Amino acid sequence: MTLGLLLLIAFLALSASIVVGFRRPRIWLALTVAGAMLGMTAALRVLLGGESGEWQSGFLLGGETLHLRLDGVSALFLMLVAVIGGTGAVYSHEYWADQHNPSTAPRGRVCWSALLICMGLVLLVSNGLHFLIVWELFALCGYFLITLDRERNGVRAAGWLYLVASHAGTLGLFAFFALLASRTGSWNLGPMRAHAELAPLFWLALFGFGVKAGFFPLHIWLPSAHANAPSHVSAIMSGVAIKLGVYGIVRFSGWLPIPPAAGWVVTGLGATSALLGIAFAFAQNDFKRLLAYCSVENIGIIMIGVGVALLAMTHGNAPWGRLALAGALLHVWNHGAFKALLFFGAGSVLHATGTREMSRLGGLARVMPWTAGLFALGTLAVAGLPPLNGFVSEWLLYLGLFAVVTGKGVTAWIAMPAAIMLAMAGAIALASFAKAGAVIFLGAARTQPAAQAHECGYWMRGPMLVLASICVVIGLAPVLCWPAVAGAVASWHPTWAIGEPPVSLVTLGSAQIALAIMILAAAAWLWWTAYHNGLQRGPTWDCGYATPRARMQYTSASFAGIVSGWFRWVLQPERKARRPRGDFPAEAIRLEHMPETVLEHIIAPVGGLIMQASSTVLRLQHGRLQFYILYVLAGLIGIGLFVFWGCIP
Amino acid sequence: MSGILNLVIGLAMGLNLIALGSSRLPTLIRAVSVQGVLLGVMPVLMESERLDWRVLLVALATIAGKGLLIPSLLRRAMRAANIEREVEPFIGFVPSLLLGAVGTIAAVALARALPLLPEHVGMLLVPGSLASLLTGFILLIGRVKAISQVCGYLILENGIFLFGLLLIHSTPLLVESGILLDVTVGVFIIGIIVDRIQRAFDSLDTRKLTALHE
Repeated sequence: MTLGLLLLIAFLALSASIVVGFRRPRIWLALTVAGAMLGMTAALRVLLGGESGEWQSGFLLGGETLHLRLDGVSALFLMLVAVIGGTGAVYSHEYWADQHNPSTAPRGRVCWSALLICMGLVLLVSNGLHFLIVWELFALCGYFLITLDRERNGVRAAGWLYLVASHAGTLGLFAFFALLASRTGSWNLGPMRAHAELAPLFWLALFGFGVKAGFFPLHIWLPSAHANAPSHVSAIMSGVAIKLGVYGIVRFSGWLPIPPAAGWVVTGLGATSALLGIAFAFAQNDFKRLLAYCSVENIGIIMIGVGVALLAMTHGNAPWGRLALAGALLHVWNHGAFKALLFFGAGSVLHATGTREMSRLGGLARVMPWTAGLFALGTLAVAGLPPLNGFVSEWLLYLGLFAVVTGKGVTAWIAMPAAIMLAMAGAIALASFAKAGAVIFLGAARTQPAAQAHECGYWMRGPMLVLASICVVIGLAPVLCWPAVAGAVASWHPTWAIGEPPVSLVTLGSAQIALAIMILAAAAWLWWTAYHNGLQRGPTWDCGYATPRARMQYTSASFAGIVSGWFRWVLQPERKARRPRGDFPAEAIRLEHMPETVLEHIIAPVGGLIMQASSTVLRLQHGRLQFYILYVLAGLIGIGLFVFWGCIP
Repeated sequence: MSGILNLVIGLAMGLNLIALGSSRLPTLIRAVSVQGVLLGVMPVLMESERLDWRVLLVALATIAGKGLLIPSLLRRAMRAANIEREVEPFIGFVPSLLLGAVGTIAAVALARALPLLPEHVGMLLVPGSLASLLTGFILLIGRVKAISQVCGYLILENGIFLFGLLLIHSTPLLVESGILLDVTVGVFIIGIIVDRIQRAFDSLDTRKLTALHE
């Protein structure tokens, strides 16, 4: 079967699933998974088989002929769309089932299939005008999915914020594609590095795609949208949708010439985003917001890799650029896999307890062992610990950064701070996920719903197992996915083709396997001794208290207190505290609210000023006819004077 | 020839001032209608050497429309809506008159600065038209009742008509009659609207229309 036919059948299957989605959930599920599998097969054939496809048709849409293209870069992202799209569909079958959400579940299914089609088309389309169309449709599908549960105020507000931010980005893209088309004389996209005058357009693309990718400080829409969306939607938004922003930046920095400062700016933005994103994540109390801010961090990590690759391009195609780009592209996959896994786990907790507040949970590991175990695996991967996949991609990135630093060129000035910030971000990420895992799953239940939680069913567990095994496989056998990443790098820049995996990657694979065997052996030994000596179960936090209570445990805020103190200058926490004083203290209170700093301290005041100016102008519209005529007269006189002075130079 | 024409335009400019200074609606309407008749006579005066049926038709239609039909429509609307005969000023009569006078002087001054064709230089056509435009605007802005605003609109339109006379040779008959028809229909519709405003608000005070604003 040819590549085009595979994609066509995948498209038809997903289109058919839109039609049946309203009434027949099982047929919808089969068709969506089939479509995802076909898309995955096509992507794999491009990545591993080295094929690539380009299709042009005489069919006119908006005055432009259809032009599709599937090469290494788009196939890498298509793979991600297919994997998360398929597993998310299975997950939603139980998580957002018809019996619990009779009114929204059918809509969710239809939007899901539409979203998959639009994301696939964004990756395939090779015409500026059509790209804008599918990009907009993709953003709209995302909006409808985020606001699936639109009865709640928070969901509607998050949806609006997403829509507005998304359109601000699309505005930049409109300018980008329109200027590109006007300067090249055609809407067709493709490699055009020879046109050096196109370089400044990169900044427009960086803004437009950056809003979607959600790196600091363009991430304002991301935390609330990901926290308020249903969890399978959060998974695809966080795992895939924001990656399409990265795709845009990677794609167009590969096709178009780039300004000399691009590498510096992108690396700097990435490093800032990584550090501040994880600092915000650590301070959160809502576990889905924590995951969302962690996405900001991971986008930052990916951007560091892309930025170093751009630096390499402007500094004589140095080999470290390839390593960093390979690390970034691999991290696209890895983040997609473990973030979707974590959001699925978060969804399972939310499904069981009905709250996103970590301070209301606790001790869930006992009632939800599967979720707890898989979530723990995800946290290890996201924290970048060996032997899992997060370590592999970050390690490639570090290799690239260290090569820049030891190269002692001018580029070391950005690579060194980026490496330091990346390391700090990694440490705080470990702390954040230690906090999330400990507060949610360990200890004792803090509230009644947490005590009465139940384990999720097979439909939710299955997709989590699939994603967890992807994390493990990429972690233990990084050489397996090397051809895919190398192919993507080669199609990004034709002279950057790297055939053999670097020796260090092969060594890393064996080290990871050895480490995994050691961990397994230790676990087996622990289990063996526990089984033989007998286990003694006691209450958690029994250390010396006469009557220990669940409220005595560390809360998420106390866990993060010190580190969020370091970042107080950017977190700007709003605190309200009344300490107990005197012999007979009154009720003591301590409330802490973490605002979204960029949104509440920068964008909201600016928006307020604009609203104020607008309401001043609104005063001119009072409904008094006489004054309106006066305006007309004043306007006429103004035009008259303008013309008069224009005539007499 | 140009002497008589200038005299007629001068009379029309005088009527502008009467319209600004009159405190009663019937006087205002009469001033407008007399101005309409004067305007209707003007094409005949301008083309007295080579009269043809088209110019006569324009003149007749203007006199009939502006001098008779529109004022009678206005009077009917006034009677039907039971409006008090006083003009309620938003800008007082004396300030309006002063503004009108200043506007007339400014119009004469402006006309001198404009690059006109040599045959139009000695005529009052351009200053008269600008002065009428300004008068129309002052009435529109400075009067409260809808009827007096219609009169302001008519005077404004008369100013445009005067300007159009500069082009009487090159403007086809169809355009002239089209403009006239537009004005008549406009006044007709305003007459109906006046009646509606009266019924809805029990008054023709356009200030009360602010109640409609969001």
